[in-house]
Formats: sequence, C-alpha cells, structure tokens
Amino acid sequence: MSHDQSETLIHMVNQIAHNLQSASDPATGVKNHLEKFWARSMKERIIACLDAPDCALTPVARQAVEQLAQQRRQAS
Amino acid sequence: MLGYYDPNKSALSKDLGTPARLSENHVSLEIDGVEISVPEGTSVMRAAALADINIPKLCASDNLEAYGSCRLCAVQVEGKRGYPASCTTPVEAGMQVTTQNTKLARLRRNVMELYISDHPLDCLTCAANGDCELQDMAGAVGLREVRYGYSGENHLDAEKDESNPYFSFDPSKCIVCSRCVRACEEVQGTFALTIDGRGFDSKVSPSQMEDFMDSECVSCGACVQACPTATLMEKSVIEQGVPDHSVITTCAYCGVGCSFKAEMKGSEVVRMVPYKGGDANHGHSCVKGRFAFGYATHQDRLTTPMIRDSIEEAWREVSWEEAIGFAAERLKTTQAKYGRESIGGITSSRCTNEETYLVQKLIRTAFRNNNTDTCARVCHSPTGYGLKTTLGESAGTQTFDSVMKSDAIIVIGANPTDAHPVFASQMRRRMRQGASLIVADPRHIDLLDTPHRSDAQHLPLRPGTNVALVNALAHVVVNEGLEDHDFIAKRCDTEAYRAWRDFISEERHSPEAVENVTGVSAEAVRRAARTYASVPNGAIYYGLGVTEHSQGSTMVMGIANLAMATGNIGREGVGVNPLRGQNNVQGSCDMGSFPHELPGYQHVGDAEARGRFEEIWGVPIDDEPGLRIPNMFDAAIEGTFKAMYVQGEDIAQSDPNTQHVEAALTSLDCLIVQDIFLNETAKYAHVLLPGSSFLEKNGTFTNAERRINRVRKVMPPRAGKEDWEITVDLARALGYPMDYQHPSEIMDEIARLAPTFTGVSYDKLEELGSLQWPCNEAHPQGTPTMHEFDFPIGLGRFAITEYVATEERTNRRFPLLLTTGRILSQYNVGAQTRRTDNQSWHDEDVLDIHPSDAEMRGIGDGDWLGITSRSGQTVLRARLSERMQPGVVYTTFHHPGSGANVITTNSSDWATNCPEYKVTAVQVEKVSQPSAWQKRYDDFDRAQREYLASAREPVAHGVRQ
Repeated sequence: MSHDQSETLIHMVNQIAHNLQSASDPATGVKNHLEKFWARSMKERIIACLDAPDCALTPVARQAVEQLAQQRRQAS
Repeated sequence: MLGYYDPNKSALSKDLGTPARLSENHVSLEIDGVEISVPEGTSVMRAAALADINIPKLCASDNLEAYGSCRLCAVQVEGKRGYPASCTTPVEAGMQVTTQNTKLARLRRNVMELYISDHPLDCLTCAANGDCELQDMAGAVGLREVRYGYSGENHLDAEKDESNPYFSFDPSKCIVCSRCVRACEEVQGTFALTIDGRGFDSKVSPSQMEDFMDSECVSCGACVQACPTATLMEKSVIEQGVPDHSVITTCAYCGVGCSFKAEMKGSEVVRMVPYKGGDANHGHSCVKGRFAFGYATHQDRLTTPMIRDSIEEAWREVSWEEAIGFAAERLKTTQAKYGRESIGGITSSRCTNEETYLVQKLIRTAFRNNNTDTCARVCHSPTGYGLKTTLGESAGTQTFDSVMKSDAIIVIGANPTDAHPVFASQMRRRMRQGASLIVADPRHIDLLDTPHRSDAQHLPLRPGTNVALVNALAHVVVNEGLEDHDFIAKRCDTEAYRAWRDFISEERHSPEAVENVTGVSAEAVRRAARTYASVPNGAIYYGLGVTEHSQGSTMVMGIANLAMATGNIGREGVGVNPLRGQNNVQGSCDMGSFPHELPGYQHVGDAEARGRFEEIWGVPIDDEPGLRIPNMFDAAIEGTFKAMYVQGEDIAQSDPNTQHVEAALTSLDCLIVQDIFLNETAKYAHVLLPGSSFLEKNGTFTNAERRINRVRKVMPPRAGKEDWEITVDLARALGYPMDYQHPSEIMDEIARLAPTFTGVSYDKLEELGSLQWPCNEAHPQGTPTMHEFDFPIGLGRFAITEYVATEERTNRRFPLLLTTGRILSQYNVGAQTRRTDNQSWHDEDVLDIHPSDAEMRGIGDGDWLGITSRSGQTVLRARLSERMQPGVVYTTFHHPGSGANVITTNSSDWATNCPEYKVTAVQVEKVSQPSAWQKRYDDFDRAQREYLASAREPVAHGVRQ
C-alpha cells in the first residue's frame, strides 16, 4: 500500500470532519459523505488505515471511518 | 411569470425599427388605412412594420432606442403639423398615419440626395454590396440624381482604421447615423465610441480619436452589426464576399450560450452574427463568439487518427478502424491485468450533451465501472454539492433575463465582463436603470467601473475568506431583523432553520468579529447586507471565485442560506446564479459525468434509478461511486489506475499542480485523447482521435440558465466523424454495441432516463427555439424560474456553514497570495483562441502585482518574475496594477508555457475535491531566466511537436483511410 495515497485519504477525511464539526452528528455526517462520494477503492483503503499504527485520523474522522467499516461488514 | 410567446419571434428576420414595448395596454391606430393594435409606447415605425408597412429608415434599428436623426422615416399624421419622424413618434389611440405620398416621397429623396452627395459611389466593388441599407434606401426612395454633384467638400479621402484584426473602419462611408455609438452604449454598455466634432466635422471616434485597437473598444461586434453601410465591416466579408445562406447554432465558448447565425458560403463560415431570436443573448455577442471561430479551420487541426506505443515515439497515422481497435485492445489488456477499476474516462464540458452522455455511458457499460468525471470537477462541482444540499437541485435558479427585474445584484468571485461578457452587458443595462451593485472580490473588477451605473459597493476581501464574509452578511440579516419570515416559515425546513439561526446569530460571525479575517470593514459589510436584504428583489451571481476554494461547497451553501433567509428565491429578479465557465458545464453535469451520479443527478447507489438504466442499457451498473479526477491522478501515480479516455479536455494545462498531473499522465499505460488539436494532454497520449468542432456536429449545449440550445452542423467534420460517432465506434470495439443514427436519438434516450428531461426532444427544440430544464409533464415547456412553489426536496434546507481557514497560508517564505482567472479575449486553456487573432489582445500571461508589493521588491512593469509556491516555480512578466490589493497577485492560465498551474497546489474543496485555484501562497522575485519547469516544458513540447510533424509527412506506403 502506498503511504502517500493513504496520507492523502486521511488528510481528506480529516478535512471533511473539520468542515462538518458543527453538524448535529459530525461522525455520521462524515460517514455518509464517504459512503456517497468515495470510490470503493478509496473506502477500502481508508478502512485499512484504521489498523495502521501511525494513522493520523482525527477523533471524529476515525469514528466515521469505523462506522463505515461496520456498515460495510454488515452489508457484505 | 415569463411569457413563452415572444412577439419578436414572428418577425425575427426583419428589423422592426424600434424596440418592442411590453405594456399590457394596447392602442389602436390606422396606418395607410390599415387598422392595427399595438402595446402602448410602441413607435409608429414599429407599428407600421408589424402591419408589413415598411417605412424607409437609416438611423433606426430595433435593438436600439429611437434616435430620430436621419429624417428618412418622416410620416404625416392627420391633424398634426409637419412631418414627424415615425421612429420617435409613439402611437396614439385613433391616430391616422400616412407613410407614403408625393410630399413624403420628395422629402425622403431630398434627404437621401444629401447623404449620397458625400458618399463614395463604388457600390459594385464595395464590401457591403448587396448588404447595404444605404443602397437599399436609395433604391426605396427612388433617388435618381444628385443635383449637388460630388465635387464639393466631402469625406471621401478619410483614412481607414484597420487596427482591429476582425473589422475595418472606413469613415469615408460613414453617414453619422450614430448606430455604432448607440450600440456600444445600449447593447454592449462600454461607451467606447462617440461622435467627435459638430456638423460637417462630425465623425465616429473610438475613445478620444484613437485607433479601435488602442481605444476602450472590446471588439464585441455590436457596432459592426449596427452599421448600415460598409463603414464598419468584417474583414472576412471584405475578403470573401457576402454570405449566401445561414444556419442558427450555439456558440461553443462560455456558459452564456449565445445563439448565432453562422453565415456561410458553401461549407465556409464567412461570419458569425449573433441571432436576435437567441433566448440567452437576444442578438448580442462578444469578441470570442463573434470573431474567434477561425480555429475550426486552423492548420493545426488533427484530421487523421494516430497511435504510438510510447510517448517517447513518433506518431503513426492510421485508419479509424486501426486506431479504435488499438485503443480497445489496450483498454481490455489493462483491465485484464490490473482489474476492472483500473481504467476510466473524462467527459467533455465543451462537447454536446449527447456526446457527454455517451462517454459516461461507455464508461459505466463497456468499462463496467463508474470512473467518469468531467472538468466541472475543477470548476463548479461545489455548486452541484451546495445547491443540491440546500435547494435540492444542482443548477442556477433563474433566466439571464431575470436580472432585468433585480434591484440589488451581488457578484461574488466572478468577473462577468471578461468571462461572461454578453450577460455582463445585460447586467450593466440593469445597473444603468438603477439597480445597486455589490461586488465581493479581492480584485477591483470592470463591472465596478460601469459607466452611468447607480450605487456600487466593493467588498475587497482577502482570498480564502468567502465563508467568513457570507456568514457575516447573514449575521447582519438575522440580527438586524431583515429576514423574510413568511418565506422561511412557508418554504424552509424549520429544524434546519432554527439550528442555522442559532449558529449564525453567534457574535463570532458578526462583521466586526471577522473584520480582521476578511479585511473588509464591518460597516461596508453591514451596508451591503442591508442593501441586498431590503430591496424588493436581490439576486446573487457567482463564479469560480466562490467554488475554487477549500470551502467552495460551504460557500455555495452560505449563498443559498442568504437567499433563503431574505426570501430571494422563486420569482424573477432574485435567485442564486452560478455563472458557468465552459459552454456545456451545466450539461456535462446534467448528463451524469460525475462518478457518483447517473444522468439527471441520480445516485448510483439508488437501486430504483439504477434499475431503470440497467433495463435500457442492458448491463448491470456498479452501485459504488467511481474515482474523481484528482483521485484518478493519485491512483495513477500509485500504479492502480492505468488507462484513461479523455474527450475534449486539457487536464495537463487546466488542472492544478502541473507536475503532479504530468507524473500521473506518464504513469498511464494507455491514454486516449479525443480532441481537435494536439493539446497539452495529447502530448502524453498513445491514441489520438481527431474530434470535431461545434461547427461540424449536431447536438445540444446547456447553458448556465439550464437552457438547452441546439448546435447545428454547418460543415462536414474535418476528420470524418462527429465526436459521438467516435464514442460509438469505441463502444462497439469494446463489445458494447450502441446503435444511434443521429444525436436526436441519444436525446430521446436521455429523456427516457432523466426525470428533468422527459419532455425534451429535438422536435420541441425546433418548435420553441430552446428549453430550460426541468422540462417534463409538470413543466412541458420548460422552467424559466426554479423553486416557484416548492423545492425538489420539498422544503429548503439551511446548512451550517462553519468557516474553516484554508491550509494554504502565507508565511515569511511565501508572503503573497496568488489568485488566478481569465480575460476577455482568451478562453480557458486557449487551445481555440490562441489559434485566432484574439492573440492580438493577449499573447502572454502576465502577473498582476500591486505597485507597493512591486516597489518593496524592486520590481518594475515588464520585469521577469519568478513566482514560487510550495508546488513549484514559474516565470512570468510583471504588470503593475492597482486592481490588486497589496498582498495579492493575479495571473491567467491561457498559455501553456506560462505554467500558472505549476504553482497552484493540491489543496481542494473538502466536499468535492474541486481544486483551490484561487488561493496559493507565493513569493515573487526578479529573475533573468525561465524556470526549470519551463525549460523542461519547452524541450518536451518541441519533441512532441516533432513526433506529430513526422507523422504528418507524406506517407509512401502508410495506411490512410
């Protein structure tokens, strides 16, 4: 897995989380955004990032990605 | 409510002399014994013309207010003295008018005689021969002799002005009717022309007796069109003669979508004349659409398909069959090796709706993935996101004509006089009638300098602080009690509104609190908010200065919030109006170019919608979104995305961080470029499919007001195929046959699948001229104004718009902010306009810098400057300009060697990845040589041109079709 690509994706999720910080449920907002706009490969890769030791996801972003991971596990 | 019936339409080919009046009161009168009833305020001349009684005229034209100078249109009115000019005489009830009798005939002949006594008699060799109103009128009044002779004092030796590349000015033929002067004022709104001197000395003067090129003239062509003689004449007509037939089509430049008459001889376009019946432009044009069409026949046009194995090799000219076969084989091999999702494509916002639809269809069906995107990604994708979230539809809410009912016009991050010139002229017309103007822009734009405008306010904000500003405007509206509570209660979701109101009322959003962020004085913000919120009709227009930011989507939602809070939605004169960049950006979005949306903005995850597509397309469709353009680049560099089909878009020049894009393109195993020229992207390609210009195909474009206009083929495609036919061939070669005989059949399929297009057909377009979607059972004749009664999502949704400062910040190393944009004469990457005489106005991109920033660095006008950002460096010449605020520099991206996008960064909108072109922290210093990138670019460019040239050398045994 390319480190750069993961970094880019982490940066993107953090940015989304930052922009949705004032929403009523930011984590779900971020999760829905990823669900709706991100390609399959990007979703899989960001979920894989959760296990990386140096994963720089901010708390809300991490929560959103965890929700996404859970949702996809349930769907499959 | 707008009427669909235009009284002008019945007589579009005829000049009725004076403009239509729209009064509902009708007045009946008798002209030459014929009874006619016309709206109050109509001139006698127009009333007569409507009754097919044609009164001779020279200074009158129905796109200009009556002037009454030529006296040729004199009539007699029962009970009145003298011979009033019919153009300046309004109809009265019961009037009895005589347009022709012995006295009038003699009077007209005498007038004509005086004109001709000072006019060259070279009719047979004159460029206007056969197309001259003076000649026609001399015939109409029966002029047979000129008793004064021709040897008296005259203007026959007046010197020509050939300075403009597109038209000549021959004052010896001028009759001083002032039509050109009035067209420049009333139609274009530039006021570049005047009549200098008095009496016999009167002459038309650009600015203060300057050449046209040196004057304020913007070369829109309105004066040339207005001239009744050969005084102002297109050089193409001087060279080629008067055209013999014409076809009405739609301009392929900006998002205004002007209708033009392509005036032809055989299959050659002699001139493009703006079409009076065009619903977007009403007979006006700009220098691009009017004159810059020569690129279509430029020698650089690609006319033969070409292939090569690597970008280090020369091109080989091959047959269409071989090129398509080669492309298909490479795509299949790539997918076999790297997987289904390893390929994708980009639809063109310059091609037609039908062509765009087919490319995304090809990707979703034959590529079997959703890796489709379009150049709207890098311009208006935040509009799609922001407006859909708040108002429920990804489109502007008004017609262009709506601005004529606006009382306050806010323009944010847009420069209409350069980027949407024909609409800017309309805005200026409204401003001259008294509408207030509020401009929020880091730069001082030309709209602020509109002659004879009323009140104008400029909010010169710091780049990147849009959201802070729009929140402050909304804060004032809420805290000063300027909300439209009825509208909010009736039309908006209460819970979302309450949450938003709590948010926006917080003191941290007040103009005073954000003054230090935006750099705009609190008082100016308060005044602007009051102006917008307190007039009956407030309208907001915005451009890429809103969308191309890290908070582009947030800003679009902030604008929608402001419009909803003040009730400025759902009628004429108000609304939220994105000014679209390219001719078919709206259409390419409508046609399902985005990776997450099928045509008609239906999400790929929506099983019901997807099912309808699967039924008609006959294959399963992936239910997950595909990659967006920046994601494709990242994946290409990473090695998981390996092949791309790009139709009519130059990503190598237009997308940010050029070196990143170049790295992505060189990582591809197969790049298929379909374009009319060897553009920057094509230099990285393995397959070149020569496309067709807008003059060579049938189809439709959709402009910024959702208006679907017909594009009509006026000449055969240079390379033999319209673009949609190439996509059909590629689909077939990939094993997904498409069966269309004509683009109208593609539109029929779109109408079956996109709920907002169900009523659209070529037959209806022929009947009505144009259609604004939604056009369906509920709106069979289209929808000029959106959201009149409800929103597509029921109630409007206020969105929380937290201001988040961009990560692209200035510091000691990069102390200035760079913002980029366009100018009038060039279009986008310049591939078209650089191949026309528009180069005379702008043949290089320069860096605008405020004199104080320049002085600090010892920079003089014209010095070479190295501009360095965190992404790269390029070198441009300096232009000192007080349009800029200190700390902000500006450039355009029309010339590839300028490398404007070498310096722009990967920073992008949080919601859509639309690049943040408008904010780049840079340093600027004097240098003596081009940048390292520019040197590399020059070498690469030279090599690639040679690869093309060697393919074009005569082939002894090659395979040509």
